[in-house]
Amino acid sequence: MIELLAAAAGERPDDTAVVSPFGRRSYGELARAADAVATDLLRRGVRRIGVLEPDPALVLAVLAASSRIGVEACVYPLAATPEAVDDLCARFGHELLLTSRTGHAAPSADPAEVVATEPGELPDAPPSSRPLLVMTTGTSGYPRGVRHEWDRVLRVAQRIKPAPHQRWLLAYGLNQFGGLQVLIHVLASHAQLVAAESFQPRDALAAMRRWGVTHASGTPTFWRFVLKEARADGGPLPPLEQVTLGGEAVPGPLLDQLRRTFPDANLSQIYGATEFGQNVTVRDGRPGLPASMLARGGDVELKVVDGELWVRSRASMLGYHDDTSVDPDSWRATGDLVEVVGDRVEFRGRRTDVINVGGVKVHPLPVEERASAVPGVALARAYGRTSALTGSVVALELVLEQGYDAEAVEDAIRDACADLPPAARPRGFAFLDALQTTGNKLSRGQPA
Amino acid sequence: MADSERVVSAVRKFLSRHRKDETVELDTSLFADGIGLDSLETAELSVLLEDELGRDPFSEGADVESVADIVEFYDEGKSPA
Repeated sequence: MIELLAAAAGERPDDTAVVSPFGRRSYGELARAADAVATDLLRRGVRRIGVLEPDPALVLAVLAASSRIGVEACVYPLAATPEAVDDLCARFGHELLLTSRTGHAAPSADPAEVVATEPGELPDAPPSSRPLLVMTTGTSGYPRGVRHEWDRVLRVAQRIKPAPHQRWLLAYGLNQFGGLQVLIHVLASHAQLVAAESFQPRDALAAMRRWGVTHASGTPTFWRFVLKEARADGGPLPPLEQVTLGGEAVPGPLLDQLRRTFPDANLSQIYGATEFGQNVTVRDGRPGLPASMLARGGDVELKVVDGELWVRSRASMLGYHDDTSVDPDSWRATGDLVEVVGDRVEFRGRRTDVINVGGVKVHPLPVEERASAVPGVALARAYGRTSALTGSVVALELVLEQGYDAEAVEDAIRDACADLPPAARPRGFAFLDALQTTGNKLSRGQPA
Repeated sequence: MADSERVVSAVRKFLSRHRKDETVELDTSLFADGIGLDSLETAELSVLLEDELGRDPFSEGADVESVADIVEFYDEGKSPA
């Protein structure tokens, strides 16, 4: 990480690295800030730190500094309550919390003050190990700490060439693996990172327009709402050259909408997870993965076992915090259920999302895809609704676009699902103003 | 609307969605030669009744064979006037 920052700062010290509601920072300023943080951390003698900071430039400086001296940094979600922060600090054994917030149980320091200190002498030799702790987003429970090595996470950067004209939107929190990937891409391509007022799609769209964002990576849920916001306000579209989706299964109808909306942009999907790293990029604009990937060797190998996708990756984690280490180069089950259909590996949902309807296992994604494709549906989520008669039935929560009639849309969805087996057809319909999301992914499980 | 009408109307709504014959009498059987619901359709009717009327007889273990049984369930649930 520090090498990527140093390389960009060496070649273009005055170029803007980050623009955010907190202002602009150049690559030169960030490199100096990273040295200041590294000096401070060495002086304190800490080995494990947490970072809770809304300014992405400061987080970037802390991450680069920690990789410089082998301190394990972990970015906290900004939405964490003070109680949750204290709890995470204690669970992960963080000796220092870099945050401008006050009142925490653990020792803390304000990152804005730390980066303003004078950098001192730093060791010449790189550390023998460069650990990193990343929290899972916890769409399905409490976040876990996932141990990584920077050298493994950064393998993806080896293929990236400088492209300083690129402006990348930060649509993920930097506590998320997706956000980390965006940071790595920005640094490796000497590009500019653009952060909006918030991660809400409306603010993201405003920032993309204002700063002329060319590259944006977000979850399918994020993109659905960006399209909805852009249609609703009728404003200009950002000059996107690259639209990337990841973090959730990508439905075909959404890919079609994005292609129509941004006809000049490259459309790609990344398949990865906090536990096994960013692994596969699919650029053909079709849902799922090419089945040819199953036979391929190299840094990332994929196979299907009992309908579940397994991965062996050189970018995967070392293990969970406070857990026995795993063999990082072993095969791992992803929890993603897939089916090979012709030349494609199609995603069916998460193993934990399967709905048991009278003994028949139903995947929610095909139902959501059919419902999402119906005109008037802005967002659809399929889940298992408890039934005294069949255990569960498939039910849909829906957000309508303006001007559509709920009964007519419901009839159209029933027609669209008529080709599914009876157990998989939706039996309950609820029309809501909004659906709950976690880190711009649809929240799973029973509705609140 | 009286309860029996609300129940019958909910059942009619359910039938029209499934493009079944909408002629429903109180003594119409839900199963076999009557409306002929299968288990998933019965589960769906139970969801619809819960959404429309707040509770449903199937989840509460009532012995339901006909439209009249559903009406009776909601009648019994009412407090005496």
